[in-house]
Amino acid sequence: MALNPFFLQGTRNEQFLVQDIINEQLKIYGIEVIYLPRKIFKTDDIIREIQSSKFDDSFALEAYLNNYDGYAPDSDIMTKFGLRLKNEISLTISRERFEEFIVPFLEGISSGIRDGLITDYDFADLISRPKEGDLIYFPLGERLFEIKRVESEKPFYQLGSNYVYELSCELFEYENELIDTSIEELDNTVKDEGYITNLVLVSTATTATATATIATGAISEIFLNDDGSGYTSTPTVTITPAPVGGTNASAVAITTSVGNVKSIRRLEITNAGAGYTIAPTISFSGGGGSGAAATCSIGGTLSSLQTVSITGSGVGYASAPTVNIIGSVGSGVTATVVAGITSTTVSSVRILKPGIGYTEAPTVEFSNFPTVGVGTFKYNEEVVGQTSGTTARVREFKTVISATPGVLPITSMRVSLNTGKFYVGETIVGSSSSASYTIKSYEDDSYENPYDVNEEIETEADNILDFTESNPFGEY
Amino acid sequence: MLGTYFYHEIIRKTIIGFGTLFNDIFIKHTKSDGSILDEIKVGLSYGPMQKFLTKIQEQADLTKATAITLPRMSFEMTTIQYDTTRKVGVTQTFKASDGTNLKKVYMPVPYNIGFELNIFSKLNDDALQIIEQILPFFQPSFNLTVDLVSSIGEKRDVPIILDSIDFQDDYEGSFETRRALIYTLRFTAKTYLFGPIADSTDGLIRKVQVDVSSGTNTSTARREMRYTATPKALTDQNNDDVINSADDALLGPDDDFGFNEDWNYLANSKDYSPTRQTDI
Repeated sequence: MALNPFFLQGTRNEQFLVQDIINEQLKIYGIEVIYLPRKIFKTDDIIREIQSSKFDDSFALEAYLNNYDGYAPDSDIMTKFGLRLKNEISLTISRERFEEFIVPFLEGISSGIRDGLITDYDFADLISRPKEGDLIYFPLGERLFEIKRVESEKPFYQLGSNYVYELSCELFEYENELIDTSIEELDNTVKDEGYITNLVLVSTATTATATATIATGAISEIFLNDDGSGYTSTPTVTITPAPVGGTNASAVAITTSVGNVKSIRRLEITNAGAGYTIAPTISFSGGGGSGAAATCSIGGTLSSLQTVSITGSGVGYASAPTVNIIGSVGSGVTATVVAGITSTTVSSVRILKPGIGYTEAPTVEFSNFPTVGVGTFKYNEEVVGQTSGTTARVREFKTVISATPGVLPITSMRVSLNTGKFYVGETIVGSSSSASYTIKSYEDDSYENPYDVNEEIETEADNILDFTESNPFGEY
Repeated sequence: MLGTYFYHEIIRKTIIGFGTLFNDIFIKHTKSDGSILDEIKVGLSYGPMQKFLTKIQEQADLTKATAITLPRMSFEMTTIQYDTTRKVGVTQTFKASDGTNLKKVYMPVPYNIGFELNIFSKLNDDALQIIEQILPFFQPSFNLTVDLVSSIGEKRDVPIILDSIDFQDDYEGSFETRRALIYTLRFTAKTYLFGPIADSTDGLIRKVQVDVSSGTNTSTARREMRYTATPKALTDQNNDDVINSADDALLGPDDDFGFNEDWNYLANSKDYSPTRQTDI
């Protein structure tokens, strides 16, 4: 034995005593910080970096703030990338407290991964000490720090042991890491950071309304005898005028493309006319195609549906609603109409077949009542667009109720995109809350990020650049 | 001496044109199973900025929780240099129209504007994703057609040439310092600077007249035949549903037109006097 056996350089009991005193001092003079261990989604072993991670566990721990006189001067610097903060703190935490309080939880996660119970993410096997790359939330400054270096030998082996870790931390550089600790104050620190887009949702849906008129001597049905071919744009439909005292009928053509041949799919009547004594002729012009031909029949002395006028556009339609024409036609033919929507409201109602035999104006009823938004999206849950398949993470969900009577509340949601873009009119569903809303409008520019001026550049450039074909880098 | 005020915002437009090339770049992060975790549009900004504006915009409440949000790109103009290889005679002029008046425009002066595009990312993979989306379009140049002087609709092709690519990866050193991963792409935009643009004193040529003689002695030969050409309107300029000579007189510099041609045989042995504008 090299040392004098009659003198002790620290017994276990002395070491316990020192550790207890340190623990007590930290609890008295320390501050409470929150420790967030890093969970790893993907590691690239070639270029050796952890490429995506999440922080969803949190442990409150007492720590002594070594830089009690504040951050180093000039911690905020102007760079060519805007403002960059370089605030640093140094924290001392108890080794024993970490090992007894946090390590068992980390061991649980680690064994869960080893046993195949957790497959969603990975976790470094190193669990016995605080790790570089883990985060520390500093509540006093409301800042999120990343541990840069862990010093475990300072003070240096007093009574033969080390009792504390000194953590050198610097402000976290954020890049869409998932931070979801259920501590609202902490989660909110990155709520507005990163690439976030804004959705305006339909919170209160209203049904569209419309009225109909009938007339005698109107078109009762149009027969598309030849759908033509080669139409590059929609041709104009001309219907011969009604006799004096009557009302001219009008219709529009709807084109379709099958096997690279664009032809007319159907004719939609905007006004079935009135007072025709013989069936008018229908002709097509323009559109670049040829061959289309149509004829029609008229109702004679029996009334047909002449027009349908929208009296209320409604709001909240994810898809065009079905329109029912309700009225007695005796032994005649019931009219059929079709609605079109723009931005979740009904923008047009056109007549496919005016029918025959109405004795009074039928009522128009819009079915397929839109699904009113239900539920509350949770922070950080994944939402899925039911049409586009786009997924995103919820950053903020809120409803603003107007103080003005009659003005509908505005429900909006900010999301960070996982992939793709949402469509206006599609329904989005929350994966854990099951909340369901229809999208009223969607902006895919970055929401309220003062650094990004991508959109402003694009707006100015649109006036001065001539991309005859297209911008190969994509339009903003 | 130089004092005629003009400002076509050409350098500003070149900056905008350059910036718009890079304003729609995305990166993606995946999980280890290959599924996409998130998709980020890379923020872009013109680097130089008023310091106080940066502070009040990016740290409005003074307690910003994070150091910076990455990845980010910034670009800035670094040099302005005369390009002797594209030099043309500066006294040459050409005519242009602002829609109503004919303008006299001096030949533009070729200038090369140097740009730097900086890419700051947290991960090497992010930077590589961004770089790979940019580089294939520059071989080594990419042409932008920019409306440099909008008042006369002067569109010029401005080649943006990728000169060099550098990157800085400070991964060595103390663990107390952070790794900084910054790619710097240097470009040259070959643009043109236009001087003042004045109304043309020449006016529009509305009539061409050629007298033809058959002799070879031009001093004694008298003209025998006259060819005149005037613009012929192709559209109804005065909206009277008739295209006639009244429309011809209303033709402007930007209008498409044909020609009214006329041949006259003249046997009166006179000559045309350009000063008196009549036959004498």
